[in-house]
Amino acid sequence: MGGPGSSSPCASCKLLRRRCAKDCIFAPYFPPDDPHKFAIVHKVFGASNVSKMLQELPVHQRADAVNSLVFEANARVRDPVYGCVGAISYLQNQVSQLQMQLAVAQAEILCIQMQHEQPLQSHHQVLELDQEDKALLLNSNNINNCNNDNNNLGYAMSSGQFNSNFASPSSIMQMQMQMQMQDPLKQESLWT
Amino acid sequence: MNPKRCAACKYLRRRCPKDCIFSPYFPPSDPDKFACIHRIYGAGNVSKMLQQLPVQSRAEAVESLSFEAKCRVEDPVYGCVGMISLLQTQIQKTQTLLAKTQAEIAVAQAKHSQTQVNEFM
Repeated sequence: MGGPGSSSPCASCKLLRRRCAKDCIFAPYFPPDDPHKFAIVHKVFGASNVSKMLQELPVHQRADAVNSLVFEANARVRDPVYGCVGAISYLQNQVSQLQMQLAVAQAEILCIQMQHEQPLQSHHQVLELDQEDKALLLNSNNINNCNNDNNNLGYAMSSGQFNSNFASPSSIMQMQMQMQMQDPLKQESLWT
Repeated sequence: MNPKRCAACKYLRRRCPKDCIFSPYFPPSDPDKFACIHRIYGAGNVSKMLQQLPVQSRAEAVESLSFEAKCRVEDPVYGCVGMISLLQTQIQKTQTLLAKTQAEIAVAQAKHSQTQVNEFM
């Protein structure tokens, strides 16, 4: 590839078997010591598509774009049917379940608060969420969230293994819109 | 030209054969769907991906590719990975809030029990 003064071609140009120009758009993001990174992005998106995407971005955003493309490409290779969407579906289910648990816990705090405000009332008026009530609330939430496709996905992300029921992309996009419209996290405690 | 060409063959300006791999998933009524996927992945890559899948999985694959392509068009830097990041942050925040609320319940229940014990004594 050249004399002692020249650097080795980037991973992209090595794979594409071409001369690596000084202003090669791939070189900053695909070093020669990690050939797999470009290989997987090229397999899923194609070198020319990646090049076009990077050209349309300001330089300071290209590294992040490459990282997210690599992530998506890895996800798609691991799961050719659902790709990243499987992980999104899993995480949305997890969010729903946690929000339900939070609602149950906040309801319990409210009950306790009411008990403190009315300590001398008749025993029948005291409200308590026992384990059965909590289980009922949580189960009804699980049924709503699991009313999806029956495909089970084994999906490994950097943080662990996921098994997910795939929700249709249209329902994921609806949830995305809901997330943007409402504030699902009520930060203030009922005590304040 | 065959008026019943699928959206993919219409976009690619070619004849739509009877066994076109795209036609079951890209009806002519929705040209944007293929345009978006082609812009991000390229028709050749999508065709290869679909060929490597069993027929019964292809519809789901197209839907997920379409979703990811739309995310990428809307957010050229992070695509759908931005959504994953958002969800992970939301999970962490909700877990923290849940732990805090459960701790408050434990404290309140302990206080309540202590009050009841004091009343009986």
